[in-house]
Amino acid sequence: MSRVGTWEIGEIKFPFSEAVRFSLENIKKRFTRAAITAASVVLGIAFMNSLMMMAAINQQVSGMGGIELYQYWLLFISLLVCAVGITNSMLIAVTERYKEIGTWKTLGALDKHVLELFLIEASLIGLIGGLVGYIAGLVAAVIYGAVFQGAPMDKISSAFFGTKMVPLPLPTAPALLVLSLVVAVGISLAASLYPAYKGAKLEPAVAFRFEV
Amino acid sequence: MRYEYTVETEDLAKYYYMGKYVVKALDGINLRVRRGEYLSIMGPSGSGKTTLFNMIGGLDRPTRGRVYIDEVDISKLDAYELAWLRCRKIGYVFQTFNLIPVLTALENVMLPMIFAGVPREQRIKKAIELLNAVGLGDRLHHKPGELSGGQQQRVAIARALANDPAIVLADEPTGNLDLNTGLEIINLMRTLNKEKGVTVITATHDLKMIDVSDRIVYIRDGKIERIETRAEVAVEA
Ligand SMILES: Nc1ncnc2c1ncn2[C@@H]1O[C@H](COP(=O)(O)OP(=O)(O)OP(=O)(O)O)[C@@H](O)[C@H]1O
Ligand SMILES: [Mg+2]
Repeated sequence: MSRVGTWEIGEIKFPFSEAVRFSLENIKKRFTRAAITAASVVLGIAFMNSLMMMAAINQQVSGMGGIELYQYWLLFISLLVCAVGITNSMLIAVTERYKEIGTWKTLGALDKHVLELFLIEASLIGLIGGLVGYIAGLVAAVIYGAVFQGAPMDKISSAFFGTKMVPLPLPTAPALLVLSLVVAVGISLAASLYPAYKGAKLEPAVAFRFEV
Repeated sequence: MRYEYTVETEDLAKYYYMGKYVVKALDGINLRVRRGEYLSIMGPSGSGKTTLFNMIGGLDRPTRGRVYIDEVDISKLDAYELAWLRCRKIGYVFQTFNLIPVLTALENVMLPMIFAGVPREQRIKKAIELLNAVGLGDRLHHKPGELSGGQQQRVAIARALANDPAIVLADEPTGNLDLNTGLEIINLMRTLNKEKGVTVITATHDLKMIDVSDRIVYIRDGKIERIETRAEVAVEA
């Protein structure tokens, strides 16, 4: 690396595996905070899945219909609300950890390492929230189909796996799973970018003065 | 390892501009700290101890003047070099311990060695050695919340020594501890200073610290008021 005076400035390392481990510890040990953040994801993703799957069940029952434009608008707004919720929750999480961020930095962490820690955490929360939201959305759709539409099980199953011809193709349950996880992680990451950046930029002296 | 002075400050100043007025937290500090020295910085609350600690530790930038560590002007370092300095040259001990709460004692001590790129087996071995040396060999897997204040501070001292730093900087390390626990921590730092030859600089109002210090720097209103070496202190006492 470089030389400064008589110092041989060596490499600063932070293996990805370690970063993931620390992020997991954080989620486990600060479960309430992580759960609040994940709740935003769960709600948004559950809404997306129920909307899509209810439409698919309707198609199976009545042989027509799809998703109206205004429903996409609703979906968009709900995901936006979900993103704002995540940003808010992550901002609080970062603020709660000012002292800890300062400490990481005194031990040798670079800005990008702090950023990495928060973004990995956001991805994991997105992943978990996405999975739970997916399940919740499908459960809601099944209840809707069976109880409110009186749809028989085979029609619900067709809606899930797309075996019967329908006027408009809608995503099947497996496709929705992939979509849910991608959207959940994407939103969680995007919404955490600003809070994580804010934490990463923090100078130790400023971080330690805060609250004290 | 050849320099006579591990730390040197030159007309060091830090001003805070608060609207109309200026708070001169440090105002022209000239200080030289010898290698292996145990130096205490004493002064009333608000005299600038923490500010000086931050400047020497590369945790904040001065308004004026310079800090040299091993004769390197640290204001010339970029973010990467500064992180390396914090990781390899300086160990920090704080009044509030500042351990990572979700990690065990062992993991806390290993953390600086991860950044330094020490292989895993070696990290574990060294961390256990250090925790043994501070008397916590039987608390390796405890989290900070499961340790007493004195024990947490021992972990922090072990962590500060993880990468064999040239300097251990401590800001009121006994400030949150009772009399006896504080004394234990002071003796521990003195022992490590003697055995490992590591330079120790502590900011403190703890008078117990006087007995172990080679020199005491008294500061007031951001200026050095006087410096006493141990011989003088002993004579006065
Ligand atoms: N970020 C800041 N903004 C404004 N003023 C500051 C800031 N940091 C420190 N000061 C001021 O600088 C002076 C020195 O503060 P410092 O924290 O260094 O004192 P100290 O000697 O460590 O005190 P204590 O013993 O209470 O910890 C104080 O008057 C303080 O109010
Ligand atoms: Mg202070």
